[in-house]
Amino acid sequence: MRIPILKLHNYLLISIQTEMDDNTAIQFQEDLLSEIHRTGASGVVIDLTSVDMIDSFIAKVLGDVVKMSNLMGAKVVLTGIQPPVAMTLIELGVHLQNVPTALDLEQGLLKLRQELGE
Amino acid sequence: MGLLSCVTINNEWDIVKARQLGRECARDVGFSTVDQARIATAVSELARNIYLYTDSGQLCFEQISHTEQKGMTLVSLDDGPGMDDISQMMEDGYSTSGGLGTGLPGVKRLVDQFDIQSEKGKGTEIRAVKWTR
Amino acid sequence: MLDKDFKSIVLNNSDTIVQKWLAEIDTMKRANYSDSVSEELLESTNREFVNIIFNSIKNQGETEKLQQFAEKLIHLGWQVSYITDGLQVFRRVTIDFILDQSDKVDSHYISELMQQVDLWVEPVIRQLVNEYSGNWENIISLQRVALQELSAPLIPVIDNITVMPLIGTIDTERAKLIMEGLLDGVIKHNSEVVLIDITGVPVVDTMVAHHIIQAAEAVRLIGATCILVGIRPEIAQTIVNLGIDLSKFPTKSSLRKGFITALEMTGRQIVDSGQKDDSIEQMMDSLGGA
Repeated sequence: MRIPILKLHNYLLISIQTEMDDNTAIQFQEDLLSEIHRTGASGVVIDLTSVDMIDSFIAKVLGDVVKMSNLMGAKVVLTGIQPPVAMTLIELGVHLQNVPTALDLEQGLLKLRQELGE
Repeated sequence: MGLLSCVTINNEWDIVKARQLGRECARDVGFSTVDQARIATAVSELARNIYLYTDSGQLCFEQISHTEQKGMTLVSLDDGPGMDDISQMMEDGYSTSGGLGTGLPGVKRLVDQFDIQSEKGKGTEIRAVKWTR
Repeated sequence: MLDKDFKSIVLNNSDTIVQKWLAEIDTMKRANYSDSVSEELLESTNREFVNIIFNSIKNQGETEKLQQFAEKLIHLGWQVSYITDGLQVFRRVTIDFILDQSDKVDSHYISELMQQVDLWVEPVIRQLVNEYSGNWENIISLQRVALQELSAPLIPVIDNITVMPLIGTIDTERAKLIMEGLLDGVIKHNSEVVLIDITGVPVVDTMVAHHIIQAAEAVRLIGATCILVGIRPEIAQTIVNLGIDLSKFPTKSSLRKGFITALEMTGRQIVDSGQKDDSIEQMMDSLGGA
């Protein structure tokens, strides 16, 4: 199972809609980094609206992918994290600090534009 | 008391299977969506621990009730290496696998009761109970 | 056999016992809680009470009258100690009376007597107290529901800005409800900024701060920003003295200041339209023209 990555101008858009197992998550990390490299994208929005659970492993993969993308010069915004998922993450002790978030895809794109100063 | 269903954890895919079954069971008991997410996450953490640290193990779900309250017990059973120091395992940020180190203490925060028994070389049994509000 | 004897002694001498009981209750009431209750009401209630006790001795197991009496007392708002004291006095008076009447008194006799009187008194106490505690439980559960309704109101003040005023003490159970309400509200109102107003929270200790920080972090995860407002001087002092780190999200002393910050964050500002001045000038002009 691979997660599709869409390109829009100099942004990459990803909507995660499958139940993520560990392999999918790792595969996604690799795919996204190579897409950033290939397209030279400056911003990435990962939309998690359809994700109903994030455990510590997936949270780590997401946090890592944000850091790695930043290293490659692309800003990442996570959008659409659902309230139950947010609460569970906080209780689990996962805070995803330094990871920018936004309510939905639209706000996420606005946030990217602000941060990139475009 | 209630239905007992189990998943054997041998590979990564079984983690997904376990949390789907766990969520289904939580829905049957009548947990809120937030609590369903808590349970599915706890299941995922427990299942991953089995996958990472032991050759094989089982995760079982049981519906329980006490007077007016309904609830659910998660039981994680494995015959793995056991734990050296349970109190160390329960510290935030402790990890031997390079993970976030939030697994077990995180699970404890997600459920209402948490009990862990481990014997070096024999295996580990973890029981976690969650009650509906 | 003895049971019958005791019963007949008590029932045959009910007038004397009632007199003694009333006399003793009267002295107790003087010392306790008669201030707010009228003399007549107290007397009539006392009589009703003692009648009910005798009734229950006569026909064991009659519960309806007891229930009515309990409901009446609850309605009047009398304390449960009125019942327990009254029955205690009845027990003492009755035992004293029967012992006075009897010529042969040995330890066996006394223990029989005590046992019998207890058998009379206990069901009455049990039922009346049950009625009372049932009433309390009812009140508590009603108040719990009321509290939950009060718990976390969410006010969408203006597009993308929502205010949640917190009032009262925050415990773990409430904190979870608050967090759920907060997050659902943010999604529902599409809020970019949420102002949590803690003016009405009496004490902010590490536990309360922890809950507020968790809520704020969860709000950040779903993509909005939390501003903590209503921080009074004493709260600021305790927060720093306890070593609580609130530096990760913005804080403001008042809801007004927080709201202005929230407007800035959502790219807006308050502009004075100057209409008031204009209309005053117009009025002056028209006056000058006349």
